[in-house]
Formats: sequence, C-alpha cells, structure tokens
Amino acid sequence: MKISYNWLKQYIDTDLSPEEVANRLTLLGLEVEGSEPFGNGMDGVVVGEILEVNSHPNADKLKLCRVDLGDHEVQIVCGADNVRSGQKVPVATTGSVLPVPGPDGKRFNIRKTKLRGELSEGMICAEDELNLGDDHSGIMVLDKEYKAGTQLSDALQIKPDTVFEIALTPNRPDASCHVGVARDLAAWLDRKIKHPYPEEPDPAVKQDLQLPVTIHDRSQCHRYVARIIRNVTVGPSPHWLRNRLRSIGLRPINNVVDVTNYVLHELGQPLHAFDLDLLSGPAIDVRSLSNEITFRTLDKVERNVPAGTLFICDSEKPVAIAGIMGGLNSEVSDGTRTVLLESAWFHPPSIRKTSKKLALQTDSSYRFERGVDPELTHKAAARAAELIAELSGGELLPEYTDCHPVKPPRNQVQLRPQKLNGLLGTSLETVEISDLLNRLDIPSGIVNGGVIQSEIPGFRPDISREADLIEEVGRLYDYNRIPKPTSTPFFTPGELSGKEIFKERIRTFSARLGYKEIATDSLLSRDEASLFSDEEQQIHTLNPVSAEATTLRTTLAAGFLKSVQYNVNRNANRLKFFEIGHAFRKKMNKGTWIDGIEEHTWLLFGLWGDRKEEDWRGGPEPFTIFDLKQDIESLIHLIGLSDKTERVTENRDCILYKLNGKTFARIEVMAPKLSNKYDLERPVMIAETDLDVIIESSLLPGSRRFTPVPKFPSFSYDAAFIVDNDINSGELTECIQEHAGSILQNIEVFDIYEGDNLGRGKKSVAFRLTFLDRVKTLNIKDVEPEVNRVVKALKSKFGARLRS
Amino acid sequence: MKEHIEKVKKEIESADLQDEESLEAFRLHYLSRKGVVQSLLATIGSLPEEQRATAGKQLNLLKKIANDRFNDAKSLLNEGNKSRVQSASEDITIPVQPAWTGSFHPLTQTLEEMKQIFLRLGFDISDGPEVEDDFHNFTALNFPPEHPARDMQDTFFIRKSERKEEEDLVLRTHTSPVQIRLMKETRPPVRSVMPGRVFRNEAVTAKSYFQFNQMEGLSVGENISMGELIETLVMFARMMYGSSVQYRVRPSFFPFTEPSLEMDVWWGPTKGGQWLEILGAGMVDPNVFEAVGYDPEKVSGFAFGMGVDRIAMLRYGINDIRVLYENDVRFLNQFPG
Repeated sequence: MKISYNWLKQYIDTDLSPEEVANRLTLLGLEVEGSEPFGNGMDGVVVGEILEVNSHPNADKLKLCRVDLGDHEVQIVCGADNVRSGQKVPVATTGSVLPVPGPDGKRFNIRKTKLRGELSEGMICAEDELNLGDDHSGIMVLDKEYKAGTQLSDALQIKPDTVFEIALTPNRPDASCHVGVARDLAAWLDRKIKHPYPEEPDPAVKQDLQLPVTIHDRSQCHRYVARIIRNVTVGPSPHWLRNRLRSIGLRPINNVVDVTNYVLHELGQPLHAFDLDLLSGPAIDVRSLSNEITFRTLDKVERNVPAGTLFICDSEKPVAIAGIMGGLNSEVSDGTRTVLLESAWFHPPSIRKTSKKLALQTDSSYRFERGVDPELTHKAAARAAELIAELSGGELLPEYTDCHPVKPPRNQVQLRPQKLNGLLGTSLETVEISDLLNRLDIPSGIVNGGVIQSEIPGFRPDISREADLIEEVGRLYDYNRIPKPTSTPFFTPGELSGKEIFKERIRTFSARLGYKEIATDSLLSRDEASLFSDEEQQIHTLNPVSAEATTLRTTLAAGFLKSVQYNVNRNANRLKFFEIGHAFRKKMNKGTWIDGIEEHTWLLFGLWGDRKEEDWRGGPEPFTIFDLKQDIESLIHLIGLSDKTERVTENRDCILYKLNGKTFARIEVMAPKLSNKYDLERPVMIAETDLDVIIESSLLPGSRRFTPVPKFPSFSYDAAFIVDNDINSGELTECIQEHAGSILQNIEVFDIYEGDNLGRGKKSVAFRLTFLDRVKTLNIKDVEPEVNRVVKALKSKFGARLRS
Repeated sequence: MKEHIEKVKKEIESADLQDEESLEAFRLHYLSRKGVVQSLLATIGSLPEEQRATAGKQLNLLKKIANDRFNDAKSLLNEGNKSRVQSASEDITIPVQPAWTGSFHPLTQTLEEMKQIFLRLGFDISDGPEVEDDFHNFTALNFPPEHPARDMQDTFFIRKSERKEEEDLVLRTHTSPVQIRLMKETRPPVRSVMPGRVFRNEAVTAKSYFQFNQMEGLSVGENISMGELIETLVMFARMMYGSSVQYRVRPSFFPFTEPSLEMDVWWGPTKGGQWLEILGAGMVDPNVFEAVGYDPEKVSGFAFGMGVDRIAMLRYGINDIRVLYENDVRFLNQFPG
C-alpha cells in the first residue's frame, strides 16, 4: 500500500522528515518496506509545443519533431506513435537528467546527439520516464493551456514528495488510508489529526431522496448511503488531485472518478459513482442473485459471476458487483450530468468470497474484505459528494438516503492494568495506559476497581478482547522501551527427549563413517514415487505445485538417486551420502501421528562409484556392497543391537536386518532397471534404516557398561575348506560359530579361491579364526580341539574338506 | 709386497666413485670377502715371520682407507640423491587432494548452532509430524476459517473436505502445530524449541521452494512477560550474530500471538546496510491456550519462529535457495564442518 508523505501532512502537523516518519511508522506496526521519491529531479523538464512532425529519412519508426521551447525551437527525434503536431508535451532539455534510473541503475543524461544521422536536442518524455506514473504506451500529452517553456513542475504544480510502501498486516484495515496512518502517527506525537470530513449530517435534513434504496440481504450489507450531485460537468481533475493520485500510482480519469479514488485513499471508504440517468427506476436494490450471470465490469471484461453473489441493481438490472467493481452499463462518462454516489458497508467474508471466485481484487474489495468503518459510511459520502460538486460545478442535493438496517453497538472492552503490566513486563500507571488508548482515538476511562473501560470505535474491527487492547498500548509505548527483566524466573530444563538424542547420535555417527549429509525433496513426481512403491501406499497432495512434486516420498532412496544423477552429470566419480528424514505411507490402521498415515524417520546410506579413485598408486577401487554391510554393522554395534539382530539374506543383492522379527534395515544393490531410470550405469548401493523401529530397543550411551580388557593376547588359526560352489560363506560361518567353543572371538574370511586343481564345482574358503581366553595365553594345544570339532562339523554338514 | 700394497693404495685413492654402479664395483673389487684387500690379508701367513707384523699394519691401514673411501663416496652420493628419487613411492611432491570426509548439510550446521543456543537458554527440543490435521495446523492456532493460509493456493492439502474442515489434512505450513501437541501432552511450565521441515505451495525459484525448515520456540508458565520474550530474542541474536549486533523489535501480526512482533537485525555496513527480518514472535494468544485446555488467566507464554534456510542463506551468502536441495558435491564440500 502506498502512502504519500505530503498527503499525510494534510492531516497532521509534524516536522518529522520522511525518514523519521518511515522509521516511526515501522515501529508502530505499519512496516515501511521502501520509500520512493515522487516529482523529484524535474529540473530542465519544460513544456514544449510540437510545431511540426516529419518522418525520419533513415528510420521508419522514428519521427522528426520541431518543438517550441518558449525562447527557442529545437529538433527532437521521437519514436512514440502518439506524437502529433499541436500537442503540448514534457521535454527534457539538453543538460537535464531524467529522474528515473535506467536498467543500468544510472540516471540518463540528456545530450545533444544524432539519432540515425539526424540531430536531436532533447527528449519528449513518457509518464514513467518522469516518475509521474506507470504509463509507457506513448509520450505524455499535456493540457493545451500551458505556455511553452514553462517548467513542467510549475505547470503541473508538482512538489517533490516521498511515497512509502507499507506492508499492512491483516489486522489493521483502519490504516489502509492516509487518515488512518496519520492517526497512528498523531497518537505517537500526542497530537490531534485534522479530519477532512464534515461532522455528522444535520438530522434536521429530511432523508428524502427521490430514490428508494432497498437492502434485501441485510446480513451481507449493513448500511447503504446514497447522495446525488446534479448538473455536473465531467472533465479533468485539478492538478492537486491528479498529483495526489499519481503519487500513489493511480491514473487520473475524470473529476468524478478521481474523487471517489481520492476519498478511498484518504478515509479508507470505498465509493462508487453511477450515472444516475442510466439507472432504471431510478431505484437501488441490494440483493444476492440466485443465478449465475454474465456481467460486463468497468474494465470492459465480461465476467461469469456465480449464483449467490451480492449485486447492486436498479429496478431492472444489476449495475455493480457489490464491493468489487461497478458495471459498464452505468459508468460515469464525459456526458454524465447526474451522479449517484454510493457509500456502503458490506460483510467482509462475502466480499472475500466473491473476490476469490472472480479472481479479481480491487482497491475496493481489498478494504471491504478486511473491514471498513461502519460509522464512516455517511461521512465519507458527504466528503466525496461535496468534493465532486465543487470540482465539477455540480449541485449536491442536501437530502440523502442512509439505509442502515444493521447497527451493532460499539464493543466495550475492559482492561486490567496489572494484567497489562504482567504480560508486557512494564510498570505503567493506570492513567498512562488510559491516555495511550485515548491518543489512539479509542475512548477509554477508568471505572471502578481501577479497571480501564474502552469503547471500541468502528474503525478498529480487530479489537474485541483485553489482549487486543494490551497490544495497542504496547505498540504505542514502543516494544523497544520495555525494560529488560531484572530477575529471571528459574527454569528446570526438562530431560532431552530420547528420540532427539538418538537422532543426533545417528547423524554424528553417519558423518564419522564418512558420509556427507544431503537434503532432498519430500515431494516426488507420481512416476518417480511409483518406482519405489505401490499406488495404494502413496499419499498425494490435492493441489501440487507442479507435476514434479505431487507425491510424498515413501523412501529416501528416490532423493538419493536424483542427487547421484545430478552429480554424475557433473562428472563426480565418488558419492557417499546420508540423509535423515521423514517418509510416508498409507496405513489401514492407526498411523504414527495421524490415523491412516505411517510417518517414520528414516536413515539412508548411499554409495556410488569409487571408494578410491585412480591415482599413481593404482587403478580405481569401486564401492561394493561389503562397504555398506560393514557400515550397517558399525551402526548396529553403536546402538548395541549386534547380538539381538537377525540377518536374513533376502536374495543375492539384498540383506534384511530384523529385530524381534520386524525388519528395521535393509541393504541392497539397486536393481539395474531402477538405477537405469536415473541414467546410472554403475551399481548403486543403499541401506535404509527405520529409526522409529529401533529407537526403543537401542542402547543409550549412558547405559553402556565397562567390560575389562583381556590381559592375554589372542591366538589366530588359519584353515581353508574345500566345499561345493553353492555353499555360502555365511552358512559355514554360522556352523563354525556353533561348534567352536566360547574362546572363539572372531571369524574372518581372508581368501576365496576357485581353481581346476580343486575339482569342478568346488571352491576353497579360507578362514582366520581368532581365539581368546580371559585367564591364560593360548597356544596351539588349546586351540586344536576346537578346530577339530569345527572340521568335523563342516565335514558332516557341508562335506567340507580341510585344505592342507 | 710393500710395492704391491702401495699400488693398490693408489688405485683406491684414485678410483672414480661418482655413481652407484662404480661404487658397487669398488665394493666388490676391494672390500668383498673375495676382494683385493681380503685376498692380501690372506697372504700374510705365507710371508716370512719378520715381515708379517709390518705387512699386517700396512694391510689394516689399506683396509681402513678403502672402507673410508667407500663410506665417504657413498654418503656423498646419497646427499646428491636427496632431491632425485629412485621410485614414485619416494616422491613426496606428488600432489594429492583433501580426503573425502563425512559432513553435515549446511542447513543442519545452522540448525545445530541455533539449537545449542536455545539449549543454553533452558529449552528442550520437541518434534511432530509433517502431515498435520486442520486442528493442529490451523484451528487450535486461532486461524479463522476464511484465513488465506487455508487456501489451496498457499497450503498443500492431502485431504480436503467440503464441509468439515476438521477432517482436512495438510502438509504442515509451520512447526507451530508441535506447540499444540506439546501443550496438549504436558502441563505448564513448558519450554521447548521445535525444529522441522515445513511446506508452502510455492513454485521452485531462486527465492522460493515448496519446502523449507523452521525452528519455533515456546515458553509457558506463570507470569511470563513480553520483556522476557524480547530479552530471550536479544540473547539469541547476540549469540548467533555476535554481541555487537544491532537489533530492533516492531509490532506485527500472527493469528496465534497477541501482541505479536518481528525482530530485525542490521545487516551490512553502518551506512548502506539494511534492516533484515530474522524472526516473528509474540505472546501466546488466549484462544490458543483455550484450545489446548490451559487457563489464560493462570498462565502466559511466548512463542517465536524463524526460518532455518533463510538464516543459513544469510550466514553463508547463498542467494539461491535451490542449491540447498540439489546436493551438488562441490557445494557440500564447501561446508566440511
């Protein structure tokens, strides 16, 4: 929302500079996001008269203009389509500098120059080049009345101004206009503002307009005021009005429409002017139409307006979409003689709904949907009607219609000073508090028991509770002045949640294993999601932002693969990533948090490429599934589940890790048909761990207990066994474990060999068995019986032969 | 014999020992077990008795000369070899790259710093789901039914019912629903921060992304005031941005706090810098307390929230939010910590 500094000063006496005003408004809760100059830098821009327009000999799109600048004539090359001889136009003369910086951020110096071989001494300007508006459709054409050579700022009576861009919060509809902003500033300065509107109309004047107003839908329209101005002459507005509108980025139209826009930005009351002679009846009916209709609005767009929308109708037809935009069928035009001015109060949700359905937000709907002051309806109508009459030479009828079927009383809200001081941390006196509220035009007084009673004026629909009043006092007092607490209350910090500690331990451990953490998208495309899960498990958003992000991830694998693809396309040759994040699946029964949705925290390890890159020491060594297997075993060791974990070989590329029969982790080499989707030719290995499943069973760091370190060295024994090719090392290992005694500490496979000398379909698996006794140093005699038992067992179970 | 020894001595003294090969030849010829010196020593026994002592002395001297000559030449040769290597494994000048190391994502690093600050200030840490229901994400937080955030334009819906909005499911738009869950589960005092991923229905551009991370905080108890809120935020700003940070608070609006405020810090040089908003905060709205069954007459509290992505971007000078979710190794390597 744009607010002009000069305009603001119409309602308040202040010496504050624009910077100071901007700073104070921000601290009052009207955040000034930026300030722009208006009407500045116009030195050397004068009124010129175009005497002659000729075509440019060397360019079709350019014209040569002979321009009278008062004391001399110049030739200017101009590219605008709308340039005509006889026009008065703004000319930036040689030596002047345009007020608006160009795309390069520099302001443009006007110099005597040649354009396509023709001399050009100056520049005929468009509105936007002079910072007088947004129009760049052609040069700005001035009224004929100005004398050539006059400084443009004198001719247009423009004074340099500063325009603030205010980011208005939704609770402050009262500040969506200049008087509202001035009210906050005045409260801070402890001054009264100069209200531009006349006092309430004289009740002696008979409400007897020859125009019946009927409100059919009283829940949606609480008040409707109509004024009539006769014998108007529609024409351009005076400079002061046009400049006001231009300063806040509006285009002046004519002296009737400009006044309605002006008063909207002055008082915050949206107004609409009808050409009364175009209304049938004449009569005004405010009603919701039961059918969908097509309606042509002032912007000349034919709109389909849904059934149930509130309209302003005459005795035959709809003439305006209430609170949003008027109809073309009753538009004020140059020929208009009688104006019907509407000032009304519409129910905010109704306007919001219509505005949303039509996808049409106007200055009017913006204010109605936030709530305008129901007490202002008539004052604003009077203010605008008087201005229209004055500027158009018309006659304002003293009679008026004020149809006001719903008139809720003002809210009375009580405020306890001790509650305020307790909540804000201040120690304000009761009178001080009451004074601060009165300065904000919220009539307040002290009633029995030292409680403050406030009567909430119509312009503050947001205030209905004590907390709201506390905020008003606080913001006017200035939050930055609230004293630092002198004593701090004592907090007994709670125990950190086990889940939090667990997650952070896992995160730290993953990095220690050499994985880099990544952060990938929670939303996948439908196709991508279907690579990893069945349709019935997937959860989709109803309103995806794009086809790329429709479905919640059921696994972190998709994000990892996408990251691998991204990096491989950029010539990475090693990727070792981890991620911790939520994944989502539909569930028939009760979910994790929300019924029907399993939302678990997962840990992903992913490997791709070379664990060691090629260098002078030798060729590359690719990652294998054993790297991942080792890391998962390290993780299981970390959380103390090594003994409780069941390891199940799902197939030759996948191992499941289970706890009490429930799978909590799996490692796998991704199926090529999956990794191929990501253009990955080399194998991708991932390990996924469901942290929610293991968190309960995991060993907390504090519960770890010391086991004395053995005093004696271990004894290693190597033995190779020849077995059939289809026997797994895992099976052999289990058998060894089972039959060797308790002194067996560790089993390692240090060699696997296949060769013709072993016989067809045979292989040799070489184990290194490490034995340890807590009470003595072992020698070969201690170990031999154990080994013999193992050899016997392997022989009977697998037909294994000891290789000598 | 004497002449022969003299001759050998001269040969030894004049031998050319510039390289490894000649040095080795020298060793074999003179000093090996079957070499010249040893052979001469072996002949002593066959000499007449009276010559033996002298010859022995001369030969021992010769042996010493040969040994010295060999050792001197060898060390000279080694010295010269210091800058010249014999094999690649001895070449310490071969360039190498920094090792691949495990690391945390810059978002995690930033969040970790923030968490540590609030842990020092006596907060614990809570979490909740990313798929939320209408009650926790909106209703309990005092969002009116027609609030724009409840629009399909701003929020991702998982389930939207025409009539009953309490059946709606959304991707949480902030971590505030965790506050509601926490207050429903526990009794005051409550003092916790809630970090997590949140979602807004926004296109992916340099400035916006459909997901980002927030950290919110909540402190509820008896007599908790806005003065404490502001002082808590000031302590955070000082610990996060340095004790000389310039800051201000200004009124703002959120449905779930009243009064509400935002905090700005001064970013950049004294002249030419600007105020940058770093967080929103306020006193918990009485309606929120009522929604979770707390009595607003008995307890008060404050809440605050900030964007982790935004703070990380400011901190590291990142100007495109998308790089945070691309996981380019060359980006991740810039944050080895």
